[in-house]
Amino acid sequence: MIDFEEKVGAVMVVGGGIAGIQASLDLANSGYYVYLVERTGAIGGAMAQVDKTFPTNDCAMCILSPKLVECGRHLNIEMMTMTELEKLDGELGNFTVTLRQHPRYVDLVKCIACGKCADKCPRQVRDEFNQNISFRKAIYVKYPQAAPLKYQIDPLNCIRMRGGRCNECERVCPCGAIRFEDVEKTVAVKVGSIILAPGYRPFDPSGLVAWGYGRFKNVVTSMELERYLAVSGPTGGQVLRPSDGKKVRKMAFLQCIGSRDYNQINKSYCSSVCCMSAIKEATIATDNDRDLRVSIFHQDIRTHGKDFERFYDKAKQKGIVFHRCRTHAVEPGESPHEVSLRFITESGKQMTEQFDLVVLSVGLETTPETAVLAERAGIELTSNGFASTSCFAPVTTSKPGVFACGAFLSPKDIPLSVIQASAAATASAIRLSDVRYSLSHQRQFPQERSVEGEKPRIGVFICNCGSNIAETVRVREVARYVESLPEVVYVETNLFACSQDAQEIIRQRIREKNLNRIVVASCTPRTHEQLFRETLRASGLNECLVEMANIRNQLAWVHKGEPEAATAKAKDLVRMAVAKAALLEPAPPVSVRITPQALVIGGGLSGMVAALALADQGFPVQLVEKSAQLGGNARHLFKTWKGEPVPDYIESLTNQVREHSLISIHLKSVVSDAEGYVGSFRSVVQKPTGSVVINHGVTILATGGQAFKPTEYDYGLSPNILTSLEFDKLHAVGDERIVNGRSFVFIQCVGSREPERNYCSRVCCTHSIQSAMALKEENPARRVFILHRDIRTYGMREELYRRARELGVIFINYDMHQKPNVVVDESGIEVIVWDHILHEPFSITADVVTLATSIIPNPETRELAKLYKLPVDMDGFLQEAHVKLRPVDFATDGIFLAGLAHYPKPIEESIVQAQAAVSRAVTVLSSRWVDLDLVRARVDEEKCDCCALCLNVCPYEALEIERDPDATGRENGKQRLVVRSAKCKGCGSCQATCPKEGISVNGFSYGQLSAQVRAALTGSGTAN
Amino acid sequence: MIVIRIGQLADQLGVHRNTIRNWIRSGRLPARSMSGKRYLLTESDFAKICQEFGIDRSVLKLKHVPGAPLMSREMSMLEENVRPVDLPSGQLLVDPTWGEVCITCGSCASACPISGVDGMDPRKLVRMAVLGIEDDLLASQWPWKCTLCGKCERACPQNVEIVSLIQRVRGLRERSKLPGPLHKGVLMCLDKGNNLGIPREDFVSLVEEMSQEMVEEGFTGFRSPIDVQGANLLVSVNSKEPFAEPDDMKYWWRIFHAAGESWTLPSVNWEGVNWALFTGDEDSLRTIVGRLVENMYRLECKTLLLPDLGHSYFAARYALNRWFKDDLKNFKVTNIFELLTGYINDGRIQIDPSRHRKITTFTDACNYGRRSLKAFGYGYFEEPRAIIRKCAPNYVDLYPNRADDYCCGAGGGAWAMPFKEERVYYGRFKARQIENSGAGLVVTACHNCRDQIMKSLRKEYDLKVDVKYIWELVADSLVLPGGRAGRP
Repeated sequence: MIDFEEKVGAVMVVGGGIAGIQASLDLANSGYYVYLVERTGAIGGAMAQVDKTFPTNDCAMCILSPKLVECGRHLNIEMMTMTELEKLDGELGNFTVTLRQHPRYVDLVKCIACGKCADKCPRQVRDEFNQNISFRKAIYVKYPQAAPLKYQIDPLNCIRMRGGRCNECERVCPCGAIRFEDVEKTVAVKVGSIILAPGYRPFDPSGLVAWGYGRFKNVVTSMELERYLAVSGPTGGQVLRPSDGKKVRKMAFLQCIGSRDYNQINKSYCSSVCCMSAIKEATIATDNDRDLRVSIFHQDIRTHGKDFERFYDKAKQKGIVFHRCRTHAVEPGESPHEVSLRFITESGKQMTEQFDLVVLSVGLETTPETAVLAERAGIELTSNGFASTSCFAPVTTSKPGVFACGAFLSPKDIPLSVIQASAAATASAIRLSDVRYSLSHQRQFPQERSVEGEKPRIGVFICNCGSNIAETVRVREVARYVESLPEVVYVETNLFACSQDAQEIIRQRIREKNLNRIVVASCTPRTHEQLFRETLRASGLNECLVEMANIRNQLAWVHKGEPEAATAKAKDLVRMAVAKAALLEPAPPVSVRITPQALVIGGGLSGMVAALALADQGFPVQLVEKSAQLGGNARHLFKTWKGEPVPDYIESLTNQVREHSLISIHLKSVVSDAEGYVGSFRSVVQKPTGSVVINHGVTILATGGQAFKPTEYDYGLSPNILTSLEFDKLHAVGDERIVNGRSFVFIQCVGSREPERNYCSRVCCTHSIQSAMALKEENPARRVFILHRDIRTYGMREELYRRARELGVIFINYDMHQKPNVVVDESGIEVIVWDHILHEPFSITADVVTLATSIIPNPETRELAKLYKLPVDMDGFLQEAHVKLRPVDFATDGIFLAGLAHYPKPIEESIVQAQAAVSRAVTVLSSRWVDLDLVRARVDEEKCDCCALCLNVCPYEALEIERDPDATGRENGKQRLVVRSAKCKGCGSCQATCPKEGISVNGFSYGQLSAQVRAALTGSGTAN
Repeated sequence: MIVIRIGQLADQLGVHRNTIRNWIRSGRLPARSMSGKRYLLTESDFAKICQEFGIDRSVLKLKHVPGAPLMSREMSMLEENVRPVDLPSGQLLVDPTWGEVCITCGSCASACPISGVDGMDPRKLVRMAVLGIEDDLLASQWPWKCTLCGKCERACPQNVEIVSLIQRVRGLRERSKLPGPLHKGVLMCLDKGNNLGIPREDFVSLVEEMSQEMVEEGFTGFRSPIDVQGANLLVSVNSKEPFAEPDDMKYWWRIFHAAGESWTLPSVNWEGVNWALFTGDEDSLRTIVGRLVENMYRLECKTLLLPDLGHSYFAARYALNRWFKDDLKNFKVTNIFELLTGYINDGRIQIDPSRHRKITTFTDACNYGRRSLKAFGYGYFEEPRAIIRKCAPNYVDLYPNRADDYCCGAGGGAWAMPFKEERVYYGRFKARQIENSGAGLVVTACHNCRDQIMKSLRKEYDLKVDVKYIWELVADSLVLPGGRAGRP
């Protein structure tokens, strides 16, 4: 055991992609100090390069950049860019990590990212962030939204660093931030555990000459296409032919380039994400340009994630053509700007088609640098170069105290990376829970000054945003104009209003000029309002006294090249903000006490993992299970896809849960009623012995799923037609139907990917393949057929698919013709199926037919969701807050989800999701109080007459009518409207409904909004 | 649905087979091709054609299967008359990597230059083997229209041994039913020592006559190379040369003479062709290669020059590795590229680079390149290019090239087989490659490529190019002592 004193309450996260960012934020928000180590000059990783994310087509940068900002501002995250792990000493709880920091040649503190250096730098270099499509300078910032937003010099290309005579950047830098003499440094830090999230790189296809990458200009990789599609990318979102810059007319995607290839590159795995990213890119490209025609050449289409199948269907409806055929090569086309593809149609005809853009859907692979990192960290890798872990501890590497997440574990999409990141945060924190808060810092704010009775004294800070705003808007002119506005006592322009030094300046001005309202004219409040609110708090002002005018996103960026009109509009926007600011009122901070106990609903695998991970960190857990025993569906499973025995694991897990002193188990129990909000829930649990009330700070829903019972394929007519789970049981007990069987048929997608359940159940292909392999291994003379639609053995599971074929399992795709026909008569079972290659029917005499039925959510989930006011999707699965970046959260704070209730998934994904839910829950449980957002409804008791119209429209049940407890005598019986602040989301439905202006939302009251509108209508920027 | 075989239906309807084929081709009889030369058509389409031609359907014997055409969702499949799936017997698929590992992705089918011809494509062929449709596969002409070029295997992401499978299918066909003269050639070779049955005396006297010509052409001291005991290099001959193009033998002779090589031609079993590779006849393949080995011992030669035909080089190398491992301790083995490279690099021959001024290109011989790379781990791609650049510096590559190059269309025995139309059609890729390269001279390393391009593709595709063997190019570039040109 490690001594308490020796343990270090800090964690190192290596890799600043989305996984590293999420892990860092979770840990920093639950009381640990985090070192976020990134090899390049800025965090953001591959997600920053992606245009949009599937299946919602959300803008990737828009959802990522708030996280970047949060990392940048977080007191407990120390970003260490241009840094690599050099050496790892010590052990779990107390590691010493030696880091090598490469010189940036720019002072991180002094640089204000004004961009003057890059303007002057004479050296143009291909921009790797834009996949070398465009150019950057030798001094550059990785991308416009980078965190930290600091320049860096690329020593390989800088004229000065290469011995030339140039000091342009040094000459123009207004801050003296250039450090040509910067040198490499070695630093050592102490941490309790380490999370490795080094990510992936896209496969480089130039080694495979057949695809013509590098030879034909109009052959690009999918990552390059992302940059073409990005509105902020080098072509402004247009897909142009690299050969001549003309619009693309016909585009083809070639799937599995650098994946599933045993021949020339020996990549045995499926990269999991390329099918969806190709469909996404094709969809975006056709949406942008209706005349564009897109074909996708593929083997299987693997849309096995939540809502992916419908996304695929929509793409087909949009006219995107899917060819179930790979081409062998890209060949010269009929014109110099075209290339030619030859392929076989589904009916077996060979065709040649000309395309003017071919996109290689390149796979994901780990890098040689990652191998070095793994070696230095002392962890084992698989033969494919990914971190080696068990299904039962999916983020735990071979070395205690070292964890892994993201694409480093296997190729995966963003949600799973985010889930694994949170899971890694949990796993790395469990052994450090007793040193939580030992190294973290808490922001301290001075006593708040009352502004009551003061006349508004408004200070306006106008941001140049480097050149972002200044190149379109004449900022000085706007400032002069603003000075003339009523109640404005001070105006200042800043290069970057968001920079650390600008915050210092704002604080200083508030003191000097006795300001009591602040307007910041800069960018979007979405990403920056929180920052300025904190600055106000640090100056002793209430945080509600700041207003922002968005003169970048809604102005400078959309009116490029129109300085006259843009400057006028800027004046309008600032005038409006000033008018509103004058009416801003302080609001008291709302914080809620956290009940440090969790309620976990569902005692299956996910519920047990969640309960145990919470209890191991010292939080009491109430675990509610509706059946008489723990274990759920996992009790019906025998092996993970990696072959590990499930029953042993479940038994040991169940025992740990049962024996844990902090876990109370309620069997044969259901939640019948619930109320409350984050930190303070109150749920009623119906037990066989009566009902109990549980107070809890967070809720985790792990209500599971169940196997669909089919009606088709003559299920039930013969004892030899089974579902997958039934087959497993008979197989395990050595039933004679299986032992003596000579011919076995598996039918896939029974109940899945059907109109009434249009989703893929994710686990069935792997499951059937494992069963088929076992049958063949026992007796190679058996005939085993798998009748399928697409084989979806994503990731490393692809190796199982190959092994099954090596064992002689025969795969027939029935999708092209029709479902197989199962005929039962006295002589036995016959399955008739059309072959997808020979296009003729075959009959198979089967001893046993196994139906791979879909996974459906438990019907009770819907009821439970109603109790907690949570959304479910059209298939009855729980709907998370955001499919990409908040995959285990709900829109309602304090409630989290895990397991099959979310979507069908295999064991290891349920486990990581449960661990992730715990990580999110601990960010709440670990603090005693939680501060709530101040944009909330407020009752004007003068005007409110308790008509209660607002109660009906409030979606959060945040409003209540209560009897005035102080009233006596005649007054007794007087009612009043109360806002349950913790539940209110500030949506404004009440305000819009109230006929008497008796309720308003703080910061968005009618008075404030009409002042803004009046300001917009009266006076105009141009009139000045 | 009705399953028809063209021959059967033609007999029953009393029309010629081509008539039926024409109907299908023109769409008059909408039929979909199935495996094993069978076609599938709907009852109503068939009824229509019967009516149109006044045929009484009731007297016809037809095979009915339930179901509907491709992609229809309404068909109902019943249990009658559907072909049962057989387990692959193992005689075809010796290993799952020969078939079962196929994921039916279509890479091979899209790569194969004659996919779709006669309904053939490599994917269907593999599928038939996997689903145990072996009789039809053995009876099919598909495996014989394939040139064994290995383009399909190169494209296959699962590394399916498609060529091995096809060779095995060929090997399992009843010998009397092999198309064309291939099997007769093998039998003749086994019987007489060469494919064309040229008697020993005729061969010896031809070589002696030609040797005399060599001297007359100025190759002073050239002596008949027949059975030179203890010579360094043992050389074989493609029997087509002594039979029809004897002058072509002299290219090598001139090079050997210029290099001062000690070499010999055996008087018997000198055949450089090995058609047993094409017929999938491993026993004969071994025997034929074994005879070259015998010659090595009989004449006590030090180095065996593998035959200059692509397929035969491959067959010999394959056989030596497989059955003659021990013998390889007793003599060295070389091939045309290593030999020529050595002559040039060691300065044993002098090359005049000014004689070939045309843009010159090289067509990779499948057996020397792609197939060697796969079978032996090394393909001869750079050596021929280096040799050619020495002789004809104005060199361009075809596209694609090296391991991705297209077969000329005459490999796998196709040059000798009775499928001329397919062979010419196959060659369209090679013709287009050559045309796009802008070359005026095509150099080949294999007799079949050379014959296909020179004698067939030039005419069919109107190619304005000269064609030379690589050793012909070298022979024509030789600078002989005294500065004479190597060309008579």
